[in-house]
Amino acid sequence: MSDEQPRIISRRDLLRGVSIAALAAAAPASLDGALDSAAAPAEAVQQTATSAVRREAYENLTAVEADTLEAIVARLIPTDANGPGATEARAVHYIDRALGGALASSRQAYSAGFAAFDRYCRMTRGGPFVELSTTDQDSVLIDVESGSATGSGAGFSGSSAQFFGMVLNHTRQGTFGDPYYGGNANYVGWDLIGYPGVRTSVSAADQQLMEKGALKPNHRSAYDNEMFNKATARNGHGEHQHGD
Amino acid sequence: MGYRTVLAAVVAMVFVGPRAALAQAPSHKIVVESPTMKTGETMAKEYTPDGRNISPPMTWSNLPRGTRQIAVVCEDFDAGTPPPWVHWIIYKIPPTATGLPANLPIDTAAPMPSEIAGAVHGYNGWRRPMYRGPAPPAGKPHLYHFVVYALDAALDLPPRLTRAELHDALKGRIIGQGEMVPTYQRN
Repeated sequence: MSDEQPRIISRRDLLRGVSIAALAAAAPASLDGALDSAAAPAEAVQQTATSAVRREAYENLTAVEADTLEAIVARLIPTDANGPGATEARAVHYIDRALGGALASSRQAYSAGFAAFDRYCRMTRGGPFVELSTTDQDSVLIDVESGSATGSGAGFSGSSAQFFGMVLNHTRQGTFGDPYYGGNANYVGWDLIGYPGVRTSVSAADQQLMEKGALKPNHRSAYDNEMFNKATARNGHGEHQHGD
Repeated sequence: MGYRTVLAAVVAMVFVGPRAALAQAPSHKIVVESPTMKTGETMAKEYTPDGRNISPPMTWSNLPRGTRQIAVVCEDFDAGTPPPWVHWIIYKIPPTATGLPANLPIDTAAPMPSEIAGAVHGYNGWRRPMYRGPAPPAGKPHLYHFVVYALDAALDLPPRLTRAELHDALKGRIIGQGEMVPTYQRN
């Protein structure tokens, strides 16, 4: 039965449900905070509640890791004159979810990598990554990417370049992958590279438009298609395996 | 040509060639100094990835008469396959410049300081057009050659030249040179 769920609840409904659950999960924490500071002015309490609601509830990353990762992805695929970047694509949301599933084997590498990365930032630039200037942030990332941070004593496991490569790879997945997996929000990644979307058929007219770069993006996930979703893919695979 | 002659030529190519590639040994010696570095002394962490990794300040004097442009290169002949490993290439420096200020921009869109307006970065060993400081493997100290070249022509060179491309561009144009060789070691 659970395999059929995606057919009944659309991907968008599923994501909306997750968002509501995340907000609901955040609410008690903000109330706790308000109760703890009962003597605080109402304005300050309101501010605390607002910031708590704004923060996304992550499933696998700690708050500090998520903040660091948000700052990193914002430099890797920045928001600039070319359009939205990894922040708007919610690449960190993708990575957070994936670390509890398909990327679970990378969780330890993230924990160890973030710890070394934070030590490196504090040792060499005098503060955590999120508090550095964008120039220093870029400088740090270049040193981590090149492997120059490896022998600094920050404690990178292997080369710092491995940590950088992992984060960059997952940032790209979260920015340009199928939105079904939690990134590429509002298809900003596909729009950024001019990808018109997954199509089961392409007419001659579509092809001509595509060659001119004028084909309007359909803004549909592969799993929005009636003929193809995770459940049907699994069923199809199983039937084939058994030779039915 | 005898066996020994060929062997000597190969040895010279491997051990001497790269070190002498950009240097055409002009007789005129430029005096190269820095308020924060000295030949034979350890570089401050500030100029390495163990610190902020900013470019160091440099000064020069005794440029030869007829200098029309200046180029600066920082190389490590104890690293690279083949050596040297290039840490910094900057050229098209105006002849009026008496040095380089510290902390040159790593953002290629950012302008150079006014005293070296027009200067551009070439690619370092990491294929990035900027200064990146020493990051030697733990062990022995490495020597970092900060070499200043005086050129007899205002060459209209594009940015992001590699060491080899700069070498070709500077052939026959170097009328003076000097260097400063600080060290760095990681434990």
